[in-house]
Amino acid sequence: MIRRAQPWLGTIVDITADCDQAGLNAAFAQIAQVHRLMSFHDPASDIARFNQAATGARLVLNAHTMQVLQLAEQLRLATDGIFNIGCAPRLVENGLLPAPAADAVLYQPAQALMQWAADGALFKLASGWIDVGGIAKGYAVDLAVEALQQAGAQAGCVNAGGDLRVFGQRDWPVSLRHPQQPQRLLPAVPLRDEAMATSATYFSRREQYGRSISALLDGRDGHSILGTSSISIRAPRCVLADALTKVVMASADPHHPALQRWQATALII
Amino acid sequence: MRYRLCLPLAAGLACLPAYAVQYLSVEQVQKLAYPDATAYRAQDVALSLAQMQQVEKLAGLPARSVNWRVFGAYNGDKLLGYLVLDDVIGKFELISYAVALNPDASIRQVEILAYRESHGSEIRLPAWRRQFAGKSASTGGLTLGGGIANISGATLSASHLTDGVRRIAAIAQLVLKP
Repeated sequence: MIRRAQPWLGTIVDITADCDQAGLNAAFAQIAQVHRLMSFHDPASDIARFNQAATGARLVLNAHTMQVLQLAEQLRLATDGIFNIGCAPRLVENGLLPAPAADAVLYQPAQALMQWAADGALFKLASGWIDVGGIAKGYAVDLAVEALQQAGAQAGCVNAGGDLRVFGQRDWPVSLRHPQQPQRLLPAVPLRDEAMATSATYFSRREQYGRSISALLDGRDGHSILGTSSISIRAPRCVLADALTKVVMASADPHHPALQRWQATALII
Repeated sequence: MRYRLCLPLAAGLACLPAYAVQYLSVEQVQKLAYPDATAYRAQDVALSLAQMQQVEKLAGLPARSVNWRVFGAYNGDKLLGYLVLDDVIGKFELISYAVALNPDASIRQVEILAYRESHGSEIRLPAWRRQFAGKSASTGGLTLGGGIANISGATLSASHLTDGVRRIAAIAQLVLKP
């Protein structure tokens, strides 16, 4: 087993696998690709192109970006808008993301922002900004796992700052942070051939203008989620685990129907 | 009141870090970043006051240190690039990392060498940091065995690290670029 870590996607991505360094390089290259395509900050990314586009614009984006946007739209529809990548204007308002344009954009929870044309292109239906920070890390982890497997790895673990996926015929011990004392680790649980992602507000909670905010928003009204528990989701793919943590966090429902639909289970601490 | 403050601090010092991973030694990262290098030469940089001010302007961040650990990677006499070593302190983590730069000072690769997380405030104390000085995979000082667990939790921002990389990119522009 070899293990390396690099900074990507605003966090540290840690990869362990039983392959050679070239295999790890290929996995990091996939993470780097998602970083470039889906960064909110980089004005050349697909996400920035969408945000800068005018209402009615027709956009042809990278196939990976399209996949993430399609899944995000399915999640929005399946969760009555709890999961909504269109929340970005509220994150900008809260100072968690930089404004992509000088003119402020209002968050309209019920407004669909995108529609796909028959040829696969994307139409921007209304003015708005999207941020895929709640789903892209998981997607990047899945791509990295595929790259490791293509490089011949039999077992491995890809962990993008807590959103992780393990593969191979062995157990991987994974520890959870204690939600009240995040420096402390709870006893490890064994994972095998599955993904786990965790959401909690202990790192992002803060006071602003006399009110509490966090980096996690409930898409139904754009308000910060301020619960003090930690939500972990186990799912077959990391992209699902990553996105579904926000659904359970906002709904406080560990049996939300979206979990069953995507073969996921929730663990609330 | 004094006791209340001191007791957890003392207890923290006695503890081992909650979580520590040694990823690469300096030798390993040298080989990884420049597989064709036949020699590495220490070319440490000491910034002048004027250079520190320029770094601050370029990076938009305090230059932080005068002295920087730099290696030049060579194949024979041909310069392949540089490797700059640094540490950053985050919320409760200490990260040692290396930035590999091309001869034109563009960034080629960033690798974490070691990541240590502590139980609390001792991260900011020199004594806590000193216990890791000079430790590497080859000296065995940080190896925790084969079963090191991964952590799942809310995403811990790596902003201190990305700031560190930006600072090193600015230093390279100013001092290392021919």
